[in-house]
Amino acid sequence: MRLFALIAVFITGGLLLYGTADFPAKGDPHSPANAGVPGTGPSISQYFVTETYNDSKVPNMVTAVLADYRGYDTMFETVVIFAAGMAIFAILRVVKGGRNPGTGIHHRLDKDSSGNGDHYDIIVGTTCKLLIPVIQLFSLYVIAHGHYSPGGGFQGGVILGASFILYAMATNLKASLARFSEQRFMSLACIGILIYAGFGFLSQFLQKNFLEYGVLQKVLLTDGPEMARSHSMLGVEVGVAFTVTAIMFAIYANLSSAGDLENGKGL
Amino acid sequence: MSIFTIIAVVLICVGLLFFLGAAVGIMRFGDFYTRMHAAGKGDTLSSLLVLLGFGVYQLNNFQSFSESWPVLLVILKLIAISAFILLTSPTATHALMDSGWEDGIEPELKNDKPETNALEEDMPQPKQKEAQA
Repeated sequence: MRLFALIAVFITGGLLLYGTADFPAKGDPHSPANAGVPGTGPSISQYFVTETYNDSKVPNMVTAVLADYRGYDTMFETVVIFAAGMAIFAILRVVKGGRNPGTGIHHRLDKDSSGNGDHYDIIVGTTCKLLIPVIQLFSLYVIAHGHYSPGGGFQGGVILGASFILYAMATNLKASLARFSEQRFMSLACIGILIYAGFGFLSQFLQKNFLEYGVLQKVLLTDGPEMARSHSMLGVEVGVAFTVTAIMFAIYANLSSAGDLENGKGL
Repeated sequence: MSIFTIIAVVLICVGLLFFLGAAVGIMRFGDFYTRMHAAGKGDTLSSLLVLLGFGVYQLNNFQSFSESWPVLLVILKLIAISAFILLTSPTATHALMDSGWEDGIEPELKNDKPETNALEEDMPQPKQKEAQA
């Protein structure tokens, strides 16, 4: 079976490498992506560089490509992260008493640090108390500023999820689950996808294509379709951030407790 | 060469010297705890010195408060990074040492008589390594 997997990996990798031979050279100014196909107007790169700001008033054209021009792809990237979280959930999650308890790392951590006083809590806990608000504020900035500077939903969501993981490591899993319960993060993951897809369906209800944000000016009450596209990008970034935050923490919580989410001595 | 550049170069060079000390300490010290000591102390101070040097170098571009506030913004960001390093790096070292102690790593003591070490009595004893269940 392992040999079969190895052969499959080599065949797939070989095909991928074979496919890259047909790519134009990196930075080739005459490749179709850069120079365009003759007789069809400007190339796609030229279009993005010159027209992104006119189309959507978004200075960061990477975000505009990611969340608007190519928004369908990004939506399913979010779904991939959601599916990864669901897979971890399906493989690891057990209800109470379903598996021999005490296999996750949190059991070991709590057992080891039980008789040692609170020196660990004082030093690490105080640092985390000082840092976690700053980290969370910064993550919100990264999410909200994604279309003006590098950042966006994925990066900001990971930072926000990491702050919850930091809290779980500094105290214990139970304390962090008290603040961000399983019910909450699982529904937040679904809500993120729903927000993203909701923007798509909303454009469809207004008789445009899926994720064609310009028409949303009727709903968002902006002046002109450009600002509607800009605000919709922020909206879908928030959706992405919800899903990424929730799934980051869900993966950590399930992996570190071997799926029972039950351990930790509590505060 | 302005005075700010000279101060910045001196600060960065001293920082690099401390980086070298930390690197040598990690390689040469005897046991886990002294190595972590070298990493935690050396890395923190040298990062702070290097960032301080960057901040002083930025003062070269400073003309007046009204027109060169972006320079102050850069310096403010460098100060923020320094504050975060000052907070996180020693804490991370402490957490690593603490878990090493709880995992039963024995420190290498100069005189192997624990009763002469006054600190030992206050500290929790390292656990014997037990087989992982």
